[in-house]
Amino acid sequence: MGRIRLENITKNFGGLQVLKGINLEIEEGELVVFVGPSGCGKSTLLRQISGLDKPSSGAILINDRDVTEVSAADRGLAMVFQSYALYPHMTVKLNLAFGLQNAKMPKAEIETRIADAARMLEITPLLSRRPGQLSGGQRQRVAIGRAIVRDPTAFLLDEPLSNLDAELRVSMRAELGALHARLGATMIYVTHDQVEAMTLADRIVVLRGGQIEQVAAPIDLFERPANRFVAGFIGAPSMNFLTPEEAASLNGTPPAGAALIGVRPQHLEPADSGLTLTVTLVEALGTETVIHGEIAGGKRLLLTLPGHRPVQVGGQLTVNADPARLHFFDAQDQRIG
Amino acid sequence: MNPIRFLFRRKGGKGWHWTDLVTWVWLGTGLLIMFGPALWLVLSSFKSPTQLAEFPPTILPYVSQTAEVGINGEVKELPLYTAVTEDGQVRTLAEVRRIGTVAQMVDPDAPDTVYKVNINDRRPVRQVGFEIENYLKPLQAFNFGLYLRNSVFVTTVATLITLLTNSMAAFALSKYEFRGRNGVMLLIVATLMIPLSVNLVPLYSVVSKLGLLNSLWGVILPTVATPTGVFLLRQYMLTIPDELIEAARMDKASEWQIYWRIVLPLTAPALAVLAIFSVVWRWNDFLWPLIVLSRKELFTLQVGLNTFAGELNVQWHFILAMTVATMIPVVVVFVFLQRFITAGIAGTGLK
Amino acid sequence: MRSDVKTWIGAGVTAPVRLLAQMADVPLRQWQRLAGRGGMIGFFLLPNMLIFGVFVLVPLGINFAYSVTGGTAVFLPDRSYVGGANFDRLLDCTNHFDPNSCRDDVFWIAVWNTVRFVGLQVTAMTICAMITALILNSKIRARAFWRAVFFFPVLLSPVVVGLIWRWILQRQGLLNYLLYQFDAEQVNWLTERGWAFTAAVGVSVWAHVGFYALILLAGLQAIPRDLYEAAEMDGTKPARAFWRITLPLLWPNLLVVIVLSLIRAVQVFDEVYVLTGGGPGTSTLYLTQYIYEVGFASTLRNSGVASAASLLMGGVLVVLTLLQLGLTRWRDRK
Repeated sequence: MGRIRLENITKNFGGLQVLKGINLEIEEGELVVFVGPSGCGKSTLLRQISGLDKPSSGAILINDRDVTEVSAADRGLAMVFQSYALYPHMTVKLNLAFGLQNAKMPKAEIETRIADAARMLEITPLLSRRPGQLSGGQRQRVAIGRAIVRDPTAFLLDEPLSNLDAELRVSMRAELGALHARLGATMIYVTHDQVEAMTLADRIVVLRGGQIEQVAAPIDLFERPANRFVAGFIGAPSMNFLTPEEAASLNGTPPAGAALIGVRPQHLEPADSGLTLTVTLVEALGTETVIHGEIAGGKRLLLTLPGHRPVQVGGQLTVNADPARLHFFDAQDQRIG
Repeated sequence: MNPIRFLFRRKGGKGWHWTDLVTWVWLGTGLLIMFGPALWLVLSSFKSPTQLAEFPPTILPYVSQTAEVGINGEVKELPLYTAVTEDGQVRTLAEVRRIGTVAQMVDPDAPDTVYKVNINDRRPVRQVGFEIENYLKPLQAFNFGLYLRNSVFVTTVATLITLLTNSMAAFALSKYEFRGRNGVMLLIVATLMIPLSVNLVPLYSVVSKLGLLNSLWGVILPTVATPTGVFLLRQYMLTIPDELIEAARMDKASEWQIYWRIVLPLTAPALAVLAIFSVVWRWNDFLWPLIVLSRKELFTLQVGLNTFAGELNVQWHFILAMTVATMIPVVVVFVFLQRFITAGIAGTGLK
Repeated sequence: MRSDVKTWIGAGVTAPVRLLAQMADVPLRQWQRLAGRGGMIGFFLLPNMLIFGVFVLVPLGINFAYSVTGGTAVFLPDRSYVGGANFDRLLDCTNHFDPNSCRDDVFWIAVWNTVRFVGLQVTAMTICAMITALILNSKIRARAFWRAVFFFPVLLSPVVVGLIWRWILQRQGLLNYLLYQFDAEQVNWLTERGWAFTAAVGVSVWAHVGFYALILLAGLQAIPRDLYEAAEMDGTKPARAFWRITLPLLWPNLLVVIVLSLIRAVQVFDEVYVLTGGGPGTSTLYLTQYIYEVGFASTLRNSGVASAASLLMGGVLVVLTLLQLGLTRWRDRK
């Protein structure tokens, strides 16, 4: 099993710097999720780790060995591609065996490994089929199986669930979590879907513009976002941001230097005093009610209330929040406190 | 950056490998072999007959320098040479006449002294220049203007008819369900298997029975019947959703309007590909026009050029110039529409 | 501004056509009312089918009739029935591998020339096209430029191709000059039997290799890059990736290319005819030229024999085309 360290990784494409000095330590057996908006460099970073690309500068260490100049094949990693990248002309079995044959592994050993992986992923009946005859979910399993049989130092997964439909995605997500628990292997998982990130990760790495914005456990990320970007990116619907003037009627006093006050839609509740907003739209989802409103000055505000609430569009609503639930950011958008 | 280095630089800047060497050699040789001959043709086409007969040949075309020399009160245009005279001096002289291996030469500024020079001791004075005559003469004297007109006529008319009839047939075969449709498709597939070269002899008798022998229509009509066009267009029309046609019918469009106003504009990309190919095919056609046309004034460029090359076996300077002239339209098409054509071939396997 | 002018000119060119089409709508609406949708289908199919019928199907029928008649008359009713005599004349040999033992020795020379030509040309072409496609698909700069380089001769007319090479291969041509530069012995490329044959093959490959390279390149580009990355992660050596991934996935395209070039090579005529005229002697005389000469050019015109020979060649082509259609369908299904 593997420990991976990234030291000051940069990557340039032509004149464009896609990665701007990434430092990161990934512990053995950890499941780390890279998340961020598209173009943030998360897939590029994964490709640097895999060895399919070489960083422009910096070093990659696997189990303390510098592998920056080592080819992809010799890093002992396995990758699950977004498109699965199964060899269309080979049977499932051959797909699993191909990498092992390349490594000149004895036949018997290959057989046992494939049988084990197939049993684990419940794809034994599919072994003699070709990828073209499989459903999306089955292909996904085969792609994971191809990684498992290699018994890699670490698994790299590049948006593995993005080609599945919503329902399948939820169940595969759970299976992936279970698989990680069972194998106890280091996994690096790239996604743009924050639900996947929150549910699967031991730690989440939030990237933006080729830089790491924050590294933290999912719940810490939600409760103590390091800056305005992370605060806005994690959590749905997005956090409300108010100026100190607009937030003056809320409970609690902002600390010195606070230029921006953030409050999550889930943490606003109807109250006797506080912010008064004019309701502009009500979305009743059954399990919760999303209320869109405008406060004095025209700033739009969002809150979600559990269950079904009869709220009139055009009516007035006064809301407030627990002072402990407020987030404060300074003029540089960094968290205070 | 140096263009050569730019062309050969590797993406990603990875290290060298033996395959890079193979790539280099293949591309370099390819450039030479693929472009070289055409380039050589163009260069040669600007050379004078004497220069073409030279061995070893020069790369660039040269024009001999001449000087006007007054001899015995008569002003003549004589070729200039750099000659080594008997006294061992190097002079620029004009050649008056040549007897055997001895040339009689004079100094253009002092034409009274005649030098006798061995022909091996003289070299023509010349500079890079283009023999435009090679192009102008055949256009005037050998009917090439007429051939050009015939070729343009055949190409244009054949392409228009091909586009119209093929698109109509493709429309019927892609947008209507009718009995016998598979039969018609099968017929068209069958014609794929009978290229013109198999039907030469009977086609000739049909064309002559129709009185189309020695007529440009006799060249055009048989070539229009290419099943490839129907196939290509039908394939494309199948991707146009039937809902569009049904919507048009709801709007009271006639079937002709549906074809003309809806399906045809949407098929434009495929029509463009077919048009380009048809132009190149018809422009390049050789065997069939060769058989149908025996009257000289009806020749297309290709037939004219071939006949011309047969008759004027020694007059390479005209042949080369006319070959270049014949090549120009295709090269223009190539330069401007190369992307279209390559995409068309890659997508359809058409040629 | 410029595009304005363009649209304006475009409109000017298409306006009369549009007007014509609009005018055609009036009688065609009447016809549609009268004959229904079926009548319109007929209308759309008619021009094309008429041309097909008159210039492909009728001639094909006549072809069969011609092949069993003799004489010099052009029109069928004036010709006398001779049964299988034409085929007999063509096929009568004591030893089919030796044209001299055949009644129509020229036909068999043409047949064996064509067979040799097809074998050599298709092999050379496929290999060259394959290498070119692989190189064009690798990580090179200015790929569009290089693709254009190899594709350029494809559009040239056969007459132009023939003349370009006749000029280069002539006795005092560029190639001999290059040989002379390297102190190698000069060759009469077009007047020595063996060399003329080689030249015919070479020129034909030169003229068409770009086309097939393009088809193969499209096939290569259709292989997802991911697969090679997956193979790289799997520790696959480049050579093994070629044999185990590239080749199997390209195979359907490769087969189509081979059969397509076979079909074209069997009909070889124009560029070789212009290059060598079939000579020296009969060393570059191929089937289509034989048909052309017997059917049209020679003083001993014999349409019956020419027809019989075309039908024999047509038979081969039908088999190859069926093979190609089957393969294309198989490829597109894969």
